[in-house]
Amino acid sequence: MTTQAVRPVLDAAGAVPEQKQAPAPRANSTGGRWRSRRTVALNVIGIGTMLLLWQGLTAAGAINSFLLPSPVAVLDSLWEMSKDGSLWVNLAASLKRVCVGYLMACAVGLTLGFICGWSQVVAELVRPIIEALRPIPPLAWVPIAILWFGLGDMSAYFLVFLGCLFPLFFGAYTAVRSIDRNQINAALCLGASRWLLFSSVLVPASLPIMMPNLRLALGIGWMCVVTAELIAAQTGLGYLIQQSRMLFQIQNVVAGMVAIGVVGFLMSAAVERIERRVNAWAPSERN
Amino acid sequence: MTSSACHIDISHVSKIFGAGEPGEVVALRDVDLKIARGEFIALLGPSGCGKSTLLSLLAGFQTATSGALIQNGREISGPDASRTVVFQDYALFGWLTLQKNVEFGLKAKKVPKRERAEIARDFLARVQLSGFEDKLPHEVSGGMKQRAAIARAMAPDPEILLMDEPLGALDAQTRVLLQEEISRLSSESGKTVIFVTHGIDEAVFLADRVVVMSPRPGRIREIVTSRLPFPRTAEMRADPWFTSTVSNLWETLKPEWQKEDEQ
Repeated sequence: MTTQAVRPVLDAAGAVPEQKQAPAPRANSTGGRWRSRRTVALNVIGIGTMLLLWQGLTAAGAINSFLLPSPVAVLDSLWEMSKDGSLWVNLAASLKRVCVGYLMACAVGLTLGFICGWSQVVAELVRPIIEALRPIPPLAWVPIAILWFGLGDMSAYFLVFLGCLFPLFFGAYTAVRSIDRNQINAALCLGASRWLLFSSVLVPASLPIMMPNLRLALGIGWMCVVTAELIAAQTGLGYLIQQSRMLFQIQNVVAGMVAIGVVGFLMSAAVERIERRVNAWAPSERN
Repeated sequence: MTSSACHIDISHVSKIFGAGEPGEVVALRDVDLKIARGEFIALLGPSGCGKSTLLSLLAGFQTATSGALIQNGREISGPDASRTVVFQDYALFGWLTLQKNVEFGLKAKKVPKRERAEIARDFLARVQLSGFEDKLPHEVSGGMKQRAAIARAMAPDPEILLMDEPLGALDAQTRVLLQEEISRLSSESGKTVIFVTHGIDEAVFLADRVVVMSPRPGRIREIVTSRLPFPRTAEMRADPWFTSTVSNLWETLKPEWQKEDEQ
């Protein structure tokens, strides 16, 4: 009967989109491996069929290869761009922007989210501001970004930062609020200092809830960087696409898009991997 | 027991939730209780009698609306490591192994790494969890989790052990086994224990004094002093004093349990 009463800070709820994470399915033994092999096979068949169809239709002339170059042509131009280095230079520029913008957003968003999750007063002060800014799409910030920072890295950092900020903030905020109050109490009665409570309880307890948002934010950041580069930069994959379009090198446009897709996929897969490890302890503890 | 110094002095303690508002709830009214050093107190009563609230006040998680809770002559003002808590839902840190869970309070006390590993291993052995040091909480049974939680609470060597229905979530057999272990551990360590439960036999089996509480408003209704020696063993459950006390308490508490059931 008293447990409700012991949750002063964390429970007096505002209208947050409370997202309870479903426990991640655990990869298990041989059955799981067999299933994953089957999944991979089906995935490959799906993608392979699409590529074959695409290649066949362009070769047969059913698709105008100027409007949509064939997969082989795209692969060819990827190879060319990787040989002359332009692919790598632009990829590196984009990656750097995502990383810097994302880390800045982590520093601000996670910190703010943690503080708001902890203190009702701060949450009530900060949340309306966040809610007011959140619906503005990063694209709408481009003119302001160019005005403030000019064309180049700073504008891109800023746009990535904006795109990542909100999911990171809400990830941390929701996570802290959904931590079991008893675990905090347990740490306190064991004599934990504020720092130990934060580093050894709050952070690890909130990670499993935060991880999907960390991943989501990275995906958004990647989209934002391309957006920024289409308009406000002179390097990067977005810039490569824009430049190729002006030169009517449509196969390079598509090659750039493919590169964006592949890198985005790899980043998401990497984070998912970390996520699974972080969640290893979680399933039965929050059943 | 009565000769030793007063360890905890609860005087005129009331706790009102939402005081002054229309829906205010009086969880505790004017509770008075003196607890001696090394005493094992069971707080017994139906839900809503304020026993968990009283424990939470003792832990320092909440503050009393009026009255005072004094430990060693000083008022309890917040949680600290001299009073550790064992929770009904274990509240183990799921991302830490049992070993690291038990080490947590020692880490907070800044005990050197090797020493705290040793102490934690020793406590895990005392609750019969040797060999499970490197397991994560979700990999072991409920009974083992609670054993680990007891080890975690005892490792930093608190003066007082507060147990909030620690066996409430366990099956009957595990509960009986753990009751005996808790009795052994507490009489070995000589710590003051305050044990919240709604199990009559559990309270009578474990406690020096059973503090029976009543709901609406939560208050102390009677105190039963045990005649059983320590440590308590399984055969004491057949002791005539034990059986008659349990059935007497059952008779007095029955109306309230029935009332609770109707609500």
